[in-house]
Amino acid sequence: MPTTSAPDEHLRLEGIGVSFGAVNVIPSLDLSVRKGEMVAFLGPSGCGKTTTLRIIAGLNKPSRGSIMVGGRDITHLPIHDRDMGMVFQSYALFPHMDVSHNVQFGLQMRNVPAREAEKRAAQALEMVQLGHLAHRKPKELSGGQQQRVALARALVIEPSILLLDEPLSNLDAKLRDEMRVQIRALQQESGITAVFVTHDQVEALSMCDRVVVMRGGRVEQFGTPTEVYERPATAFVANFVGRTNRLKGTVTAQGTLTGAGQQLRSATRLPAGAVDILVRPHRIRLQETGEADNKVEGTVSTITFIGDLVQYGVSVGGEEIVVEEATRRGRSPLAAGDSVTLGWSAEDTLIYPAGEK
Amino acid sequence: MSAAPALPRAWRDGQLAVLLLLPIALINAIGFILPVLNLARYSFNRSRIGGGIEQVFTWENWAGLLSDPFYLELVLNSVWISLAITLTTLVVSYPIALYLHRASGSWRTFLTVLVISPLLTSAVVRTYGWIAILTDDGPVVSAIKALGLPAPSLMFNIKGVFIGLTEILMPYMILALMAGFGRLDPRVEEAARTLGATPARTFRKVILPLTLPGIALGCLLCFVLAVSSFITPKLMGGGRVFLLATEIYDQAIVTLNWPLASTLSILVLIVFGAALWAYSAVLRRLD
Repeated sequence: MPTTSAPDEHLRLEGIGVSFGAVNVIPSLDLSVRKGEMVAFLGPSGCGKTTTLRIIAGLNKPSRGSIMVGGRDITHLPIHDRDMGMVFQSYALFPHMDVSHNVQFGLQMRNVPAREAEKRAAQALEMVQLGHLAHRKPKELSGGQQQRVALARALVIEPSILLLDEPLSNLDAKLRDEMRVQIRALQQESGITAVFVTHDQVEALSMCDRVVVMRGGRVEQFGTPTEVYERPATAFVANFVGRTNRLKGTVTAQGTLTGAGQQLRSATRLPAGAVDILVRPHRIRLQETGEADNKVEGTVSTITFIGDLVQYGVSVGGEEIVVEEATRRGRSPLAAGDSVTLGWSAEDTLIYPAGEK
Repeated sequence: MSAAPALPRAWRDGQLAVLLLLPIALINAIGFILPVLNLARYSFNRSRIGGGIEQVFTWENWAGLLSDPFYLELVLNSVWISLAITLTTLVVSYPIALYLHRASGSWRTFLTVLVISPLLTSAVVRTYGWIAILTDDGPVVSAIKALGLPAPSLMFNIKGVFIGLTEILMPYMILALMAGFGRLDPRVEEAARTLGATPARTFRKVILPLTLPGIALGCLLCFVLAVSSFITPKLMGGGRVFLLATEIYDQAIVTLNWPLASTLSILVLIVFGAALWAYSAVLRRLD
């Protein structure tokens, strides 16, 4: 069923499906991306996120459905006519060309005069602070530098859509943080529509305007980072995006929620039956003294010091609830065996039909 | 054990390296260097009628070789034909190698075995096979005649040698190409395509340059094999195709003029040296 298109829609996938023989890798995918926004495809490996990106680029053929860019159907357009800038996880720079010629390649293919191509490549390299390395070969560059060259190469052609396939996965943690900021800044400066494939929720949440959480070739949720984090549409999304506790519970015929051996309150309503109750560890207060929607007594069983966080395992009835607290100087930590009163709000009590993974 | 001498580590490693290299160095010296030196010495001997050899030091063979237009033509002919055969082999092998490089799993294994399998049969047998196929009343000529076209003569001339050698060299070329295709990353081809390169331009600007090391290696190997091949030219040329290798055979076995055969052999070695130099020059430029 086609959704109504937003007025500023730029990219649109309609009923995109991929089958290998009898296996439906992607059953049917509908998606609408606005002009100038950066959308993340987030999901575990094998969820179809990279396949979908490659379908947009034309590198894979969908078994059915259509792709529209700016209202134009490009489903059957060959790769080289699609005008997409793609950044690969493995950088995929041309090893036989120097950095400048790598960046010029797309311009040469568009028959831009040599002098202008050189000038624009130089500008693009300045943009990623690599102007001084224009005449190096890719193998003489570090991973982060190579990925910046790849970014310049994709952006210099001023593509209609920028496609990023796990561009940060091969970089070390510190570099990844820098690149995240830089990619986002470049994308916002140029106002280009971008699709970003990642399995890292931090990348998806911090860089993108909206996030598509995918699983098994289906969209689990499509929303802003806040929506996806605060109001996960499914238990899978809650589990995949951020950490969470899962408790067994029931909703009675009267609509009362019970879990952890007592009555609990949730902002969500579900029909009677078995439910899973999900609460994020850092939304639970460890020593609740005032009023709280949900108050539960427990005993500290494990303490794990992580640095910026302390993780407490608290046994409540037969179940274990993980609570995270920011570490603070001069505060006497709890010890195993201490009794605690856990407290959290109804809004933070997410409930889903039981058994949903 | 405790009395083991405390040798410097680097020195011990050096000793070990020498020890490990010694066997192959010996085999090479006895099996290759010495015979080549011997061959070089022979080229300065004088040949007597009836196969006798006079132990002297004379430039006669070399002077004769360089002054006789027959030999000059022989060398040029051999080099030229070998180059042409190498190029033809490259053109017909390249698509196969590229396909094999991209294939995966058991399909790739199967096709690779298929490519190598001709090597399990000796070149003599395969040459006779080609003679049967290309001979005047063979299937190829008959088919051409059946189409109403003038019957070509494919056997016992340079055409037969060309066809036969090309097929015989193909497995070597394909293996060498595949060995040199390591730099060809499918992602890089995809990057070129997304940047607006048509398949043809992707081939010219990306695939071809990245496969040049393989092309250079395959061409070197096949050129050397083509120049030194003599069974196929001998059998398929029907005594009408004169190449360096067949001439060496004739001089050594038929005419029993070993000094001249030696001189020609050293000449072949010089041609190989030139090929090797060209190859390393190409590789240097690629790096």
